[in-house]
Amino acid sequence: MPHDWVQSALRLMNAMSGRMRKVDRVPYFALINEQMLCRVAGVTVKEMLSSPEIYAKAVIGSYEFLEVDTIQIPTSYAGPGEALAFAESNDKLDTIRWYDYKPLSIIQGAVCKTEEDIDKLEIPDHSKSSIWKISMEAANIVNEKTKFPQMFGLGIWSVVQELRGVQAFKDMRKNPELLLKLCEKVYESQLDVIKNWTEKVGFSPMIMLTGYSFNKHMMSFDDAMKFEGQFIKRLQEKIKVPFVFHNCGTTPYFKEVCKEIDFVAVHGSHPLDLDYWIKFKEMYPEITIMGANIDVSREMLTGTSQDVEEKVRDNIIALAPGGRYVCAPVCCLPWGVPLGNIMAIPRAIEKYGQYPIKIQ
Amino acid sequence: MSENENITNLKNAIVDGDEIQAPSHVKEALDSGLDYKVILNEGIIKACEEIGQLYEKEEYFLADMLISGDALEAAIEVLKPTMEQASEKSVGKILIGTVEGDVHDIGKSLVSSLLQGQGYDVIDLGTEVPPETFAQKALENTPDIIGLSGLLTASISKMRETIALLKDKNVESKIIIGGGVVSKAACVLIGADDCAKDGWEGVKKINRIIKLEKRGVS
Repeated sequence: MPHDWVQSALRLMNAMSGRMRKVDRVPYFALINEQMLCRVAGVTVKEMLSSPEIYAKAVIGSYEFLEVDTIQIPTSYAGPGEALAFAESNDKLDTIRWYDYKPLSIIQGAVCKTEEDIDKLEIPDHSKSSIWKISMEAANIVNEKTKFPQMFGLGIWSVVQELRGVQAFKDMRKNPELLLKLCEKVYESQLDVIKNWTEKVGFSPMIMLTGYSFNKHMMSFDDAMKFEGQFIKRLQEKIKVPFVFHNCGTTPYFKEVCKEIDFVAVHGSHPLDLDYWIKFKEMYPEITIMGANIDVSREMLTGTSQDVEEKVRDNIIALAPGGRYVCAPVCCLPWGVPLGNIMAIPRAIEKYGQYPIKIQ
Repeated sequence: MSENENITNLKNAIVDGDEIQAPSHVKEALDSGLDYKVILNEGIIKACEEIGQLYEKEEYFLADMLISGDALEAAIEVLKPTMEQASEKSVGKILIGTVEGDVHDIGKSLVSSLLQGQGYDVIDLGTEVPPETFAQKALENTPDIIGLSGLLTASISKMRETIALLKDKNVESKIIIGGGVVSKAACVLIGADDCAKDGWEGVKKINRIIKLEKRGVS
């Protein structure tokens, strides 16, 4: 039976808004990156990114094969793609690393090695950037074929860290003004990329914001607000669509960040203690939980499909009643996780996730 | 300046991440005739312990750990020639790197500088290290411990490949995997001896393994 993307989109939007009479079952959200797409589609990353048609076909085929309720182009995220755009526009192509079956990346810290690099850093013109051109064209094809609105991703600290590397953390103490200057440039670049996306693909119904600075083992909450949070607030003022907060780190400040910044949903897999998520739901009943404690490098990698099914069931029992819950393994589905364990998620949703939730 | 004052100043300079004052206090201590073992144990290693405690109490974060690590390295650099003159062996030999396909180096760099600062001999292979390079360097250097670092979920499979090759080449070093994606279960699955979720936990575990090995417990 062909995948009904319109029904998937409605299921997701209604579940996130709490309009539960219109939701048949728990929606399933997954991030599928190049590593999985290439394997499913049988092409290398370079081949896939050589043509928007090949790219879109790989995306649609993979998401449908894995029975997910959402669909997006993995490079429609201003993280590694942004770092690449910065490398391109600052003549540092030698910092880019291509892999056959993995997302491309740049050598951390190589683009902004010195203070002068930051001062002279050119903000990319995204209309000319190779990766963005192909991503936007592929997103348009996916949109046209599925009618599923294409969501875009932004992130300040992830790009800062790619550009400045380990030195970014030292700058926090030794030269915070310099670091803020870099954050400001990344912010401006993010505004340019979303402007391009809106012009060429259309409004993103939501923004997936990767707030990677918001991790306890990385920095204090105050520092995270200073070097990323204030820029997220400014992005929200400019881009007037709902934001989803993503953090796939192991010590995220989910509860804290939701007090300071408006998000419609949080997407993460830590803490692994399900009670944290139950309390989160009590504390923020209007915020959708996407994920809870289904982590791709735990049961999914090392357990059996039965283990995964039980994990999904436990999450559904604890968080799905009343809605505003989206089942989601976190982070991207990696190659190496047994296929049976991946497919155990939609199977378990089918089995336990029908509304009204009847299992105890 | 008294012996105690000197050591306290050294310790504070390292904890505060002052990479100018820390080596200068080591020099002062050596010039005043203080035994290098006192400088190492009471100044440098105690500072490292305090940094770890502050991190565990969430008073110190990665930024503070990294700049303290720089001060530690600068301090040990001044002490090294005296240690070598006294034929002092390094605390242990560590081979460390981020596995192939992963460019993230923050956790690895932190472990590397904190261990060097405690007198370890650290061979840092950098990032994107292929399994073959790990195996070749392990055979050349016979490290006590090999640390495989990675942030990406995909790095787990590369860690598994690296460990398989190390075992195939009969490398006997203990293997620790580190990074946010690692877990006890993944550790068992891929054949590592231990795992650490962050840099400080990695340092603590390496210290523990080395202490046990010195006592003849493996």
